[in-house]
Amino acid sequence: MSLFMGIDIGSITSKGIIIRENQIAAYATLPSGINYRVTAEKLREQLIASPGIDPQEIRAITATGSGGSQVRFADYQASSLVCSARGIIATFPSARTVIDIGGQSSQIISINERGQVIDFVVSEICAAGSARFLQVIARVLQIDLQDVGPLSLKSSNPVVFTTGCAVFGETEAISRIAQGVPAEDILAGVHKSIADKIQSMARGINLNPDYALSGGGALDTGLVKRITDTLDVSVLLPPSPQLVSALGAALVAEERWSS
Amino acid sequence: MIHNQTPLYFAGVDIGSTMSKVAIIDDEQNLRTAVIGPTGAEHRRRANQVMIEALGQAGIPLETVGYIVATGYGRMNVPFAEQQVTEITCHARGVMTLFPEAQSIIDIGGQDSKALRVGNHKVLDFTTNDKCAAGTGRFLEVIAETLDLPLSDMSQISLKSSRPVQITSICTIFAQQEVIRYLSEGTDLSDVLAGMHDATASRVVRMARRIGVLPPLVFTGGVALNPAMVKAMEDNLGFPVLVPSNPLITGALGAAVIARDKYHQLAARGRTPAVNARRLEEVDLFGGGAGK
Repeated sequence: MSLFMGIDIGSITSKGIIIRENQIAAYATLPSGINYRVTAEKLREQLIASPGIDPQEIRAITATGSGGSQVRFADYQASSLVCSARGIIATFPSARTVIDIGGQSSQIISINERGQVIDFVVSEICAAGSARFLQVIARVLQIDLQDVGPLSLKSSNPVVFTTGCAVFGETEAISRIAQGVPAEDILAGVHKSIADKIQSMARGINLNPDYALSGGGALDTGLVKRITDTLDVSVLLPPSPQLVSALGAALVAEERWSS
Repeated sequence: MIHNQTPLYFAGVDIGSTMSKVAIIDDEQNLRTAVIGPTGAEHRRRANQVMIEALGQAGIPLETVGYIVATGYGRMNVPFAEQQVTEITCHARGVMTLFPEAQSIIDIGGQDSKALRVGNHKVLDFTTNDKCAAGTGRFLEVIAETLDLPLSDMSQISLKSSRPVQITSICTIFAQQEVIRYLSEGTDLSDVLAGMHDATASRVVRMARRIGVLPPLVFTGGVALNPAMVKAMEDNLGFPVLVPSNPLITGALGAAVIARDKYHQLAARGRTPAVNARRLEEVDLFGGGAGK
């Protein structure tokens, strides 16, 4: 039996997946930390220690993500665009647009029926429009990231941030807290800021349905709702959106090994 | 109580995003006093506090101040000022009062940066950034917080660098991670800090070049107090810069000089402001103050 591994070293979280016959056989996640090489090694150890995994059967490994180049044991490197696209098409064959909200960059990817990248826009120059902005504000509000979504959905009056800048946003959030603005309105305001940035990115590219979300940002129900409302589309949401790119990396490993 | 004698002083109040500044000058444009206080998290409520402190330091009553001009981003919340003037105008005026030969100004404040070309007592062109923390004092503050180092130490350590690193991220948040990564790889702190000052300077200089800044160039704002930034600016510009002895108060000084002009214009028409009507009271910014 052949196994293939995908390692996605993100700016905040690292994800690893082993696939067997196109099914997920094992997965693991770790905070990326500062030393990506060490994180990648730990991730591999966890994956091969998973029940039912024989390390001898691992045929090929692909690394991706902002720290992908630090993964010394990988056979192949692939861009996060390619991996998100492959991961989505394997999950949702009808998807033609991927909106990936990652730890520190968001990307909109136009794909064909084989999951190949046709066009894309990336927000990588700054943290505006990425989950990083949310992380910064959640820390100020002392709210766990998993509570952000449900809480933000209670907001009736989202704060309007004057810039998309996450650093200035933090200062603004602090003044709003001092004014007694409820946390849900601040969080909903951050969601709106990220959704607006994604909408402005989306203007630079031809988009087709179906739309699918990926990346850790898609775990936030409040953000997902805000993005769908802002873009005025319905979206396909994978059960584990943060693992999509690692899945894609494992699929790329299989593709390249087989060819 | 009617004052018939000519008031002797003029004040400029500059309410910035992080600091509030008051400058009081006499009729010969000599700086009588300059006070700097935090704007604070409560924002702009403290304009009166800084004004009271300035009057106290100068040892003069409010009634002897013939005209008050407010500037800065909180200028609308200075109810005791007779007039509001934009910070670009006030900055330029303050710098040209101190350095009549100046052709350009670069100001780096706590939350914004601006570049101006000036001449003939006028602003010829300007550009600003207040949308992105990169290239503002905020960038340096974030790094200082990350490293738990006072800004002044950061500057001194940076000046010892022999091989500055290249910070490739523009975004403050990404640069913060880049700094941490360099340090975790064992790069010398001085080289990382020098790279960070260079990144900030290079961002501002790139913006300033769009309006074609020329020497003599005056570097102002709180960030001009940082010797490592002065060096980084000079390295990036390719020529030396002039730094006022108090680079934070040029806006307030310019506002005071403009206040003096306004006073004399009005006096020439026999219409000076009712200085006794002013009240130094706290403004509730969020509840809608008297300045609204």
